[in-house]
Amino acid sequence: MIRILLADDHALVRRGVRLILDSEPDLEVIGEAADGSEALALAAADPPDLAVLDIAMPRMTGLQAARELSRSHPDLRILILTMYDNEQFFFEALRVGAAGYVLKSAADRDLVEACHAAMRDEPFLYPGAETALIREYLERARTGADIPDRAVTEREEEVLKLVAEGHSTKDIAELLYISVKTVERHRSNILAKLGLKDRQELTRYAIRAGLIEP
Amino acid sequence: MSLFWRIFSLNAAVLTVAALVLLFAPVTVSATARLAEALIILAGTAVTLVANAVMLRVGLSPLARLTRVMTTIDLLRPGTRLVARGQGEIAQLITAFNAMLDRLETERASSAGRALSAQEAERHRIAQELHDEIGQTLTAVLLDLKRVAKASPDPVRDQLLQVQESTRNSLDEIRRIARRLRPGVLDELGLASALRALAGEFTTAGLAVRRQVHSDLPVLPKEVELVLYRVAQESLTNAARHSAAQHVDLVLSEQNDGGVRLCVRDDGRGLRGAPEGAGIRGMRERALLIGADLSVESGVTGGTSVQLSVPA
Ligand SMILES: Nc1ncnc2c1ncn2[C@@H]1O[C@H](COP(=O)(O)OP(=O)(O)OP(=O)(O)O)[C@@H](O)[C@H]1O
Ligand SMILES: [Mg+2]
Repeated sequence: MIRILLADDHALVRRGVRLILDSEPDLEVIGEAADGSEALALAAADPPDLAVLDIAMPRMTGLQAARELSRSHPDLRILILTMYDNEQFFFEALRVGAAGYVLKSAADRDLVEACHAAMRDEPFLYPGAETALIREYLERARTGADIPDRAVTEREEEVLKLVAEGHSTKDIAELLYISVKTVERHRSNILAKLGLKDRQELTRYAIRAGLIEP
Repeated sequence: MSLFWRIFSLNAAVLTVAALVLLFAPVTVSATARLAEALIILAGTAVTLVANAVMLRVGLSPLARLTRVMTTIDLLRPGTRLVARGQGEIAQLITAFNAMLDRLETERASSAGRALSAQEAERHRIAQELHDEIGQTLTAVLLDLKRVAKASPDPVRDQLLQVQESTRNSLDEIRRIARRLRPGVLDELGLASALRALAGEFTTAGLAVRRQVHSDLPVLPKEVELVLYRVAQESLTNAARHSAAQHVDLVLSEQNDGGVRLCVRDDGRGLRGAPEGAGIRGMRERALLIGADLSVESGVTGGTSVQLSVPA
């Protein structure tokens, strides 16, 4: 059973998230906090396996709480659940020790999967961050900087370029006459090949690429 | 000497010379003037008038300079002043005019400043409410829908899935609107991150935004960061809308004197003499607000560059 601590300043959202998570057989919400400092107090009293934190909260933001939590509870996995779709927040989350980043507008779809990924210590990338990482990769490949070089197939190369140009998965599927599922498989293969499926490796890469400060 | 006495004395001098010439020159005029006499008198009058005209022109030239400055003055490019040369009233007039310009520029800057900060505050408030109220409620609705869909019989579930998708779309839309109104990154993570994110937002298949944001920038006041962000935003909007460029470079660097400099340069078709619209004027207003220097230029080879230098 994965024991989860939930922090969000909106009671309605907390209730929704709790009901979704509790309905999964292996997930259980053991505590709810309305801000970052309450989350710290709850985690100190009864350490959970996973903390799901909103970013914009009064008194102490989710990012600040994540930094504190990963310092005081190194084994705790952290997931950010937020309205902000901005890859800069994702990189910042990564920097303060979070394993994943889920947009609230995709929470119904992604949250449960992200919880499982976090427990496997795999990063749960949100689409905007993926695009930013791939763009960075292509730019560095162009300028000859050091990049993890693992053979990327021609088809994957095509997908890479389209992702970097800001096309959505659906667009890419239409442009290349393949199914959305296939595009998704290509994307996840690419990320695995670039070493972005491993949290530590991803963090190191983002620091090297100057996407976040060490 | 006042303008009145100056003109009076110039006229008096000319008339006196003419009178002296008449008194002491060896000429007489017959009762019915002969042709030669008439010609001399006409020539004398002409000389007098020309002399008078030249003197008046010299005397009034500071007024002409003042008029030129008055017709070309632009409150968005402050600092144009006339040297108070000339005498008496003219110098006073110029000094008074300069003082009036000072007052106008200060008043204009402060009212523009008030308007802009009121606008920013309002945007901030609306963005926050969209984010915190509507956004969160819709998130809760989305999560509830998922649960209800799971527990529903098949035909209803399909319909609920569609409702879920449209809820998701409006949530995305609200987030986009809130972000345009006021970027949360700027407040939470600072200018460098906000500019990186901005560059990403403007990158499309046809336009590559290359950013170079130096990481060792001096710490800037919040209002300066906001101006830098808004100028970058408008410059990128213009590049995307008008330039047909393939590349835009966005550079934020520190200057030798400890100030910072933002440069947004595209390789598109250039301004081609287009008049400045609300966008560029808005950038000028904001630059004025923090005492920064803004230039918008096109090179001979095309392309447009916007440069904002913020003093330390
Ligand atoms: N990067 C650019 N490349 C080419 N032309 C430009 C560029 N930036 C501005 N212009 C020209 O200058 C004009 C004025 O720009 P400005 O931003 O002031 O107004 P606008 O973009 O037309 O409207 P808005 O008020 O929405 O910004 C534009 O209409 C366009 O013709
Ligand atoms: Mg414009």
